[in-house]
Amino acid sequence: MRRRKFSITLMWMGTVLAVLCGLATAQQALDLDGHAVNPFAAASGKPVVLIFLRRDCPVSGRYAPVVQKISREYADRASFWLVYPDRTDNPQDIRKSVADYGYQLPVLRDPEHALVKLSRVQITPEVAVFDGDRRLIYDGRIDDWYIDLSRARPAPTAHELRDAINAAAARTTLAHKEVRGVGCYISDVE
Amino acid sequence: MSFPLRIILFGLLSSTFAPMLAAQSSAPASQLTFNRDVAPIVFRSCSTCHRPGEAAPFSLLNYSDVKKHARQIADVVRSRAMPPWLPEPQELKFADELRLSDADINRILTWVEQGAAEGAPADLPPAPKFVQGWRLGQPDLVLKAEKPFILPPEGTDTYWNFIFRLPIQETKWVKAVEIRPGDKQYVHHANILVDRAHASRQRETEPGAGFGGMEIRIESQAFDPDSHLLFWKPGTIPYVEPEGMALRLDKGTDLVLNTHLQPSGKPEVIQPSIGLYFTDHPATKLPMLLQLENDLKLDIPPGQKDFLVTDDFTLPVDVDLMAIYPHAHYLGKDIRAQATLPDGTKKMLIYIPQWNLNWQAVYRYAEPVLLPRGTVISLLYSYDNSDANPMNPNHPPLRVNGGNRSTDEMCHLWLQVLPVNFDAANGDPRMALQEALARHNVEKNPADFEAHYNLGAMLQARGNLDAALAEYEAAVKLRPEDATGNNALGAALVEGGRPAQAVSYLQAALKARADYFDAHYNLGFALAQQNDFAAAVDQFQTALRLQPQDAAVEANLGAALAEMGRYADARVHFQHALLLDPAQPIAKENLEALKEMNPR
Repeated sequence: MRRRKFSITLMWMGTVLAVLCGLATAQQALDLDGHAVNPFAAASGKPVVLIFLRRDCPVSGRYAPVVQKISREYADRASFWLVYPDRTDNPQDIRKSVADYGYQLPVLRDPEHALVKLSRVQITPEVAVFDGDRRLIYDGRIDDWYIDLSRARPAPTAHELRDAINAAAARTTLAHKEVRGVGCYISDVE
Repeated sequence: MSFPLRIILFGLLSSTFAPMLAAQSSAPASQLTFNRDVAPIVFRSCSTCHRPGEAAPFSLLNYSDVKKHARQIADVVRSRAMPPWLPEPQELKFADELRLSDADINRILTWVEQGAAEGAPADLPPAPKFVQGWRLGQPDLVLKAEKPFILPPEGTDTYWNFIFRLPIQETKWVKAVEIRPGDKQYVHHANILVDRAHASRQRETEPGAGFGGMEIRIESQAFDPDSHLLFWKPGTIPYVEPEGMALRLDKGTDLVLNTHLQPSGKPEVIQPSIGLYFTDHPATKLPMLLQLENDLKLDIPPGQKDFLVTDDFTLPVDVDLMAIYPHAHYLGKDIRAQATLPDGTKKMLIYIPQWNLNWQAVYRYAEPVLLPRGTVISLLYSYDNSDANPMNPNHPPLRVNGGNRSTDEMCHLWLQVLPVNFDAANGDPRMALQEALARHNVEKNPADFEAHYNLGAMLQARGNLDAALAEYEAAVKLRPEDATGNNALGAALVEGGRPAQAVSYLQAALKARADYFDAHYNLGFALAQQNDFAAAVDQFQTALRLQPQDAAVEANLGAALAEMGRYADARVHFQHALLLDPAQPIAKENLEALKEMNPR
């Protein structure tokens, strides 16, 4: 009995590892030239902020100035990446969109949703904030500007992304680790 | 890869199991499909706006479009945020109702829950056909805004006004207007106001530049009430006036397009066009816009959740109600208008349980609603100035009053009505309506300057000069330094043959506004009537500098110069007046008189 159970466990572990190795390249995010990129490798211990956007999502668009303001303000303290999870998006279209909105941030495509799963995000625009140890400390909305798809506050009253970056830099924890955003579902483009 | 192991496993598991879940739910007998069950709803209720070049941010024209937004669509139809339609269903039906039925909503929700299957190609209804370009064909006149407005990438909602100077040389009758607001994705709604007296031009920094502002007021010179609600919102099909109705546009009239714009995240170039469709038939039916309001009651304490404002107006004539347009800003919550007929029957005219300024609209009734004389029209609006209202412009809430800025509040209800069953021998029934409304406003707010002013203007237009003077005097007493009030009182005194009394009011008007054309003109007139021609010439010359194209000023300046014996100078001004308007009667008559005096 004992030996049998042990061997089954080993086999199961083996299967997982094999699958893991097999998918390692397919599940990586890509830059707009098609090269696999690991946003954590470049961060050298700084917190990493992934910002998930859909080109066809008007809420994603309206947040562009907000994202740029926050990323400029926190440029020294965190490393920011735009992530486009729609697998039907081609790099030229993404490039054009990024230029139209005047973004100055590095861009990733995430056609296999590797970063989506890692980040647990569901909506665009949502963000994931990882601390220097690559622990996910927050995923969800940028702030509470939008109430629902037809109503937005005149100005946000809660600033989850800023709070999360501050917490990541200070290595403290947040009361709300997940607050869902308002916008377009990422699962609709799976 | 060096992601944390725990999360990698999470990812792998979910991707391994997802196909299994999908397989389990594949096509049972009761499964709804896009082609059979959902496409007919989408084509009818979504695609009009959700297609290239239209207002909606993405297209919904086929399965793959809809699939890419399936869960989002489920959310917005469940909450009835889409299609945008604020009023509750009621007995009096509106035209072009966008509201989805409960059955349609359930069909969409079930389809999404079941995995949003495409279905058999044979089930797909034909794709909707849309007219490209101008919906009613090439307009008789197309006007494009002279200068674009650059919408900044960020910030809150923006309101911009474009002035269209009509290039028509004679009066035209308009049966339809199509507003093309430029890039429709960023224009929430647009409204055209008819400005017959160029009242808006002074707000432009340079001609054609346009000007900012959410609410605009347009002064008019004569009784010429607004008659049409010229409104665009996403998905609007241009409205063709019914038989006998048309909008009158004269030479020199300006159209002011008031647009509500929403920043997109990047700079956008907004340059609207409007297309006018003319008819050869002058209007025989003359509707007018009735405005119920109670802005002065808007003094909403912070924290107040349910601040009620009402207004009740009794109709002095029978009318057909054609359309209704409620208007409040961000604190508006529950918006209703109802009619109590003389027999006591109550009819809900409109009920919007959750007001949303972003989706304000003109609602036209499917059939005109007859409201007999004696009907009381009631406005009942409630406002939420608490933190529970997420649209509250102030956080924490502040006291809010009525006003034109988007952070102020408003309580307006416009009704397009057509007087019916009247005896034309008793004069224009619209005047009776307007006078009753002006009187109602004075009774409602005895200390309101504008109420007295408007009643005065109405009485003056109806030839009741003594009563008009009393109202203007009341208005000036309330605002002794107001340019418009003093000018109106002065002008009425001149009209009543009391130029000596008029002078001090007209001077007060000019003290308040030195470049006030009307007041210079009226003061010149009052001085000339008292034979002080030198002073009159001064006033007319100043007026002419302010409006060099005004034939009447040229003619009056000529007349005053002639009275002073300066015939050669007078002749030049008469000739100028006739160049500007060949039919100018004073110039014509005086030029003849000069010829007789000195035939050369």
